[in-house]
Amino acid sequence: MSLAMQAVLLGILGFLTNFEWFLGTCMIQRPIILGSLTGLIMGDVATGTIMGATMELAFAGAASIGAYDPPDMVSGTILGVALAMKAGAGPEMALTIGLPVASVVLAISNVTGYPILQLFAHLMDRDVAQGKDKAFQFHFVISGFIAWGVTSPIIPIAYYLGADKVTGIVNVIPEFVQTGMEIAGGLLPAMGFAMLAQTIMKKKLAPFFFIGYFIVAYSGVSTTGVSLFAILILAAMFGLTNGTGMFASSQPAAVEELEGGDFDEF
Amino acid sequence: MSFNIHADYDGKITKKDLQKVYLRSIPMEHSWNYERMMHSGYCFAMLPILKKLYPKREDYIEAMQRHMELYNVTMYISTLPLGISAAMEEKNAEDPNFDTSSINSVKTAFMGPLSGIGDALYHGTLRIIAMGIGVSLAMKGNVLGPILFWLIFNIPNFGVRYLLTFLGYKLGIESLDKLEKSGIMDKVMQAASILGLVVTGAMTAENVYFSIPIKFGIGSDATTVQKILDGIVPGIGPLVLFGICYYIFKKKKCNPIVMMLILMALGVVGAFFGFLA
Repeated sequence: MSLAMQAVLLGILGFLTNFEWFLGTCMIQRPIILGSLTGLIMGDVATGTIMGATMELAFAGAASIGAYDPPDMVSGTILGVALAMKAGAGPEMALTIGLPVASVVLAISNVTGYPILQLFAHLMDRDVAQGKDKAFQFHFVISGFIAWGVTSPIIPIAYYLGADKVTGIVNVIPEFVQTGMEIAGGLLPAMGFAMLAQTIMKKKLAPFFFIGYFIVAYSGVSTTGVSLFAILILAAMFGLTNGTGMFASSQPAAVEELEGGDFDEF
Repeated sequence: MSFNIHADYDGKITKKDLQKVYLRSIPMEHSWNYERMMHSGYCFAMLPILKKLYPKREDYIEAMQRHMELYNVTMYISTLPLGISAAMEEKNAEDPNFDTSSINSVKTAFMGPLSGIGDALYHGTLRIIAMGIGVSLAMKGNVLGPILFWLIFNIPNFGVRYLLTFLGYKLGIESLDKLEKSGIMDKVMQAASILGLVVTGAMTAENVYFSIPIKFGIGSDATTVQKILDGIVPGIGPLVLFGICYYIFKKKKCNPIVMMLILMALGVVGAFFGFLA
């Protein structure tokens, strides 16, 4: 298979992974899956599978939970595995190429993908306000493919240029930009949760937000643990089971007492 | 447990309608964005129900707009709130005295606890199990590795999601009846809001993180700003950042896209000067 042909096929594979979200976030973007498929295109499924598995372990913590955005596993895996296989190198090479590529492409797709989706969100608002449900559905379906398809050409181009050039380009990007993107990964959720809180925050109930926050900050209990305790305490207080809880009658007063403090912005 | 709609049921929503909701819930995250997250996916899934329940054009538009509000939940279990919303919309369509705003407040209250539990179950447990089995095979070059990984994750994904559509709907219908009869609707709503806030707080603490490694002192006395902050109140940094974001959005002083770019730039500048890590 010619170099150009392989590049085109890898590009198509990269584009098709956009179906992950369309098909129920079904994990087709995971390195373990893409490694084998890249291997298929490169003519050696077994080697691709091994490299994919190695990268899967490296990306084990990368899952989009809440508003956290993981590195772009798609371009990282496809380019890492394909270029390492072309060079006849081992899985370490796939990682060496793949990890920086994944963070760089995430940075690129963050500035292209989300603004495009934002645009579609407002387009869909307009459709809905005018009662055009067909236009709404059409925009919904094309939005994801356009937003994330924009970065798909990176894969065939980078593959065609070759490992040296790609790592060369990646090396030009200074260390602090990549570290900075990792830091931003911890900062961006603040924005996501601030928007979420916007819709459910009630002035009277604001202390409960801080209760949840500080339980985790001080003790490191997981969110699931906190929700479990919260459900149990609420069940006791409100007596959800029989309608007459321990503090059923005094509840509004208790809420009032908890209010106060210096959090005036709430 | 039977997922059939109960015997004396005389509503408009049929099993077929709920199956449509299930199928349409599959692309839930397709148009996910930072501004309102799964809003359009949720509306997309609710559309056949809304169209059936609201023959009047104004009502239909209003209902669609209702479901274009911010929503986010572990997408694999999104059919549970969808089923509940369907039940509440049905009630709303036939009862003019129904509190329409409660449709969104109930759905929002579910967002917190469901995301906490769903993320832990699917991302934290099921995916890890599937990965463990898949990787151990794939490391030997066995193609069964990725195939098993995919199946172990997706059979529960699509199966449970289907069952939850009907469970959610049933839960919605039955608890609405019960709550109305016992008159504890308000209390349940309040408990739901509290729960949502506690979980949002917990998730903020868990997901927002950065540290300030600026050094103080000399030699063995050296300490960092972060250590001092941790000594006073752990997690105060992310909380202040959250507070700033919250305040800015509340006053509508900043477009989310601008905010996103500012935070990314802050990360890069912080890394360059070494005041963030």
